Amino acid sequence: MKTAAELYARMALIRNFEQAAYRAYERGELEGTVHASIGQEAVAVGVATALADSDKMLSHHRGHGHALAKGVNPKRLMAELFGRADGVCGGKGGSMHIADVKCGFLGSLAVVGSSIPLAVGVALAARRAGEDTVCAVFFGDGGVNQGVLYEAMNLAAIWKLGVIFVCENNAYAITTPAAKATAGEGIELRAQAFGLSALRVDGQDVEAVAGATRTLVAEARAAQPGLLECLTYRFLGHSRADPAHGRYRTREEVERWQGRDPLAVLAANADLDTDTCMRLEAQAQAQVHEAIEFARASPRPTFAELDRDVWG
Amino acid sequence: MGMSDTPTADVTFAEAIRCALEDAMREDESIVLLGQDIASGFPFGATRELAASFGDERVRDTPISEAATMGCGIGAAMMGVRTVVEVDFAGFLLLGLDQLVNNAAKLRYMSGGQLRVPLLVRVGQGPLGAFAAQHSQAQHAWLASVPGLALCAPSDAQDAYTQLRWALRQRDPVVFAEDMRLYRRKGPLVRDLAGAGVSRAGDSHLPAAPAAAGDATHNGVPLARVLRPGRDATVLCFGFGTALALAAATDLAGEGVELEIVDLRLLSPLDGQTIGESSRHTGRVLCLGDDPLLGGITATLAATVDHVAHGAVVGRLGARHWPTPFGSAEAFVYPAQESVAGAVRQLLAWPAAGEAQIAHGDFQLAGAQVRPDTQVRPAREREP
Repeated sequence: MKTAAELYARMALIRNFEQAAYRAYERGELEGTVHASIGQEAVAVGVATALADSDKMLSHHRGHGHALAKGVNPKRLMAELFGRADGVCGGKGGSMHIADVKCGFLGSLAVVGSSIPLAVGVALAARRAGEDTVCAVFFGDGGVNQGVLYEAMNLAAIWKLGVIFVCENNAYAITTPAAKATAGEGIELRAQAFGLSALRVDGQDVEAVAGATRTLVAEARAAQPGLLECLTYRFLGHSRADPAHGRYRTREEVERWQGRDPLAVLAANADLDTDTCMRLEAQAQAQVHEAIEFARASPRPTFAELDRDVWG
Repeated sequence: MGMSDTPTADVTFAEAIRCALEDAMREDESIVLLGQDIASGFPFGATRELAASFGDERVRDTPISEAATMGCGIGAAMMGVRTVVEVDFAGFLLLGLDQLVNNAAKLRYMSGGQLRVPLLVRVGQGPLGAFAAQHSQAQHAWLASVPGLALCAPSDAQDAYTQLRWALRQRDPVVFAEDMRLYRRKGPLVRDLAGAGVSRAGDSHLPAAPAAAGDATHNGVPLARVLRPGRDATVLCFGFGTALALAAATDLAGEGVELEIVDLRLLSPLDGQTIGESSRHTGRVLCLGDDPLLGGITATLAATVDHVAHGAVVGRLGARHWPTPFGSAEAFVYPAQESVAGAVRQLLAWPAAGEAQIAHGDFQLAGAQVRPDTQVRPAREREP
């Protein structure tokens, strides 16, 4: 189990990493787009810390935090965002398609909800291999309305597979508030209807997320799939094209959530003093600085590398 | 080549698939089958009795959830469990297409080669006989156009067996397009119980399958084959179309026409070398498919002929641009033996390239050429 300082350090790494990626995008160093999870770091780190190294994780388009939480090297992740050959996927996946198999980070996929059924198969493979490893798969409150989620929950339940469905409910599917898009009382009750163990937790509190995940992991190892709903908030817009507030979120709402910054929440709950936090922050900045320098120095993939790994 | 078994009695195309699955499952204990009603072998018998042999952990009936089933197959395949997903009818494949196209086909590439997806998707294609528009359709061009997928389109029982055994040794996703008109057709079958049985091992112009340890004969790719040699014209065909073309060739032989039949087998990757050799040999090529001419697989075949045998006279025969109508009226839509023979006669009547403006053309399925049956066949022949 990680100490509070270790959890803080990992969240600070994610925060600084995404801020740096954002700035690199603004400078024109990074192509495509960036979906930052700033504000949601406690979900990624809380879930990851409750998993064993041998457990697996699948993610979505806003997945840098999940990758870093599962142990993906920040230098190679940044190089991937830069589209460079030393990127974790050789520069061919980019920000929205990250995988690092040796870390158990099996992939972030950009079609909302499409990584969900893969988790069922990953858990089935574990069963076939006689292992009790589990697979955690992330999706948002937007993904809640993809039909494949319910197909996958049903399959995990009838086959009693070690899947943990993690809903990062950040209250908006791009601009659409969850209340306008999702009927009924929420995903927790829907999961219970399939016979899953379901918990709802404060997604700004990394220790609470970790605790709830541990409960579900223990059950999943014993063939009881579960769902964890984390109530959280993205502090920035959906992507670079979307402002943090002013269109569909009020400044007051954003500031209210920023008052529950997961780093500050942990520092307060775990009595981390200011010096400790500043030291961990500085370490994270140094790691990210190194990651940016590494990414800049890495070449773009060659034509031959781009031509590889299609089929056969 | 270690064909270690003697020919069995003739078996149906569906039984050949079942034999291939059985033999592959004995050889590779990682193989798991996923699909609706597969334990009972419904509807075509291609998985019959496999649950009894291999158990319900390896032959898993799924709910009617094509997207999750396909995704589950991909997730398991990523982790080294070779999965076979059965989708009975072409129309149902669309529910799993996000998973197949966005994930199975792209995960290896997007992950920079970290992930491999040894997934095989078996799916019915073409008309079944009176099942109408949603069950009866052809998706060859769509599927062949997706980078990251291979597409098999076997034409007889032995070919289904051989291609399926090959496909179940690949480390990347393969779609196995089973022409539903073939399921009941019988042909001889030699089972390959020694793990050999592939054609033209070591050809370098197509990607080679990774060799299984200690057996170099695993390298072969099921390349196109000349099923009947001829000098006057070539028919490029696959699936049930190959049976039609062979029958048309017999008809035309009576008229002194020597037709060369090239059974394509794989539609992706496409064997341009064999296509080129035959097209240059005969100089006249009919491209035969079951999807419409607009955007259909025959468009790619014709363009390939033009590329590898420039100057050849090329014609295309495909499906009418209709949804498949109900009942025996489906015969208005798909090429039949008479329309293949008619198209070849027209092709032979055309001037050679250079002598006329038209060296390429599309043949219409004339309603008069393909009359639907007026006799309703007994139910036991019509039902799956």
